[in-house]
Amino acid sequence: MNRAPSDLLQAAFADPVLDAQKCFRAALKALSEPGTRQTLVSVAAIEPLQAAGYALCLSLLDNDTPLWLAPAFDTPAIRANLAFHCGCPIVEAREEAMFALLDAAALDDLSGFYAGSERYPDQSCTLLIQLERLDRGPALSWQGPGIDGSRLVGLPLKPAFWQQRAARNDFPRGLDALFCAEGEVLGLPRSTRIGDSLQEVA
Amino acid sequence: MHTREQSPRQRWMAVLARASAAELAPFERALRDCTYQLIRPAEIGMTLVRGRMGGTGAPFNLGEMSVTRCVVRLADGSTGYSYRAGRDKRQAELAALADAHLQGPQQSRWLNELIEPLAAAQARRAAQKAAETATTRVEFFTLLRGED
Repeated sequence: MNRAPSDLLQAAFADPVLDAQKCFRAALKALSEPGTRQTLVSVAAIEPLQAAGYALCLSLLDNDTPLWLAPAFDTPAIRANLAFHCGCPIVEAREEAMFALLDAAALDDLSGFYAGSERYPDQSCTLLIQLERLDRGPALSWQGPGIDGSRLVGLPLKPAFWQQRAARNDFPRGLDALFCAEGEVLGLPRSTRIGDSLQEVA
Repeated sequence: MHTREQSPRQRWMAVLARASAAELAPFERALRDCTYQLIRPAEIGMTLVRGRMGGTGAPFNLGEMSVTRCVVRLADGSTGYSYRAGRDKRQAELAALADAHLQGPQQSRWLNELIEPLAAAQARRAAQKAAETATTRVEFFTLLRGED
């Protein structure tokens, strides 16, 4: 009997149904009002996956959602807990993933993630991105649906991410992203246009 | 009843799944007498029951039944799982605790005190039911009919 994987298991949401619904609601609100921060339900982290990212995983993933893990998150503990609590298949090929769990180091290359088709743009891959914080980066002006006029958002991201995102954004096709840090989530749907910056982005 | 070879753990999990609430209740204090963590608190769900006509026909969906499952971990690291028919969360937690204890150092004690009596009672009930059913059995014969 192989007991190693079960030793890595840990408890997830205290109230699995209600907590998952609260996090799902927060994720919906984050995507419908891009750039605003929404609070997630607290859950015990699995290093290096922090509470916010794990809470998103627990509420969004199930056995119908193939997940791609960034190398930083590809640990036995994370695999065992996601398999146990979410039951999501973990895929090696980016093309097959409906969700991708990424850290800041994985944002330089977003190639391969499915951006949806003209007929079914909703089938694109959603990026769950764990950052160290959601502010104190170069402030950019976001515009588009869900934003009254424009909103200044200072995510600590490298210019490479914005180039990668723009290269894959061909509306209605594109990638939606949920950034999470410190118990909060911030949405960046494909419909949001990134305008001029206050501090110049290289 | 069992076509495949059962592992010892499969056997005790099956015994625990069939044990009634009244049979598990006397062990509640002994089972809970340890520090443990609920990895998956008892939760109620549905499962699809499939059957085969006569045990050999094509599979069909008989219907759905409610199932309660639970996963606990003891302080020594052993993880106990349970799946029980019905909606009794407390019994599911007790069965999971029993499964965890049975994987630990006191396995033989738990087997002798908990599993063997339950298994014997279940075998008795099954035999009684089979005997009751056997009295109502109707045998059909086709009498040989002469052709000429």
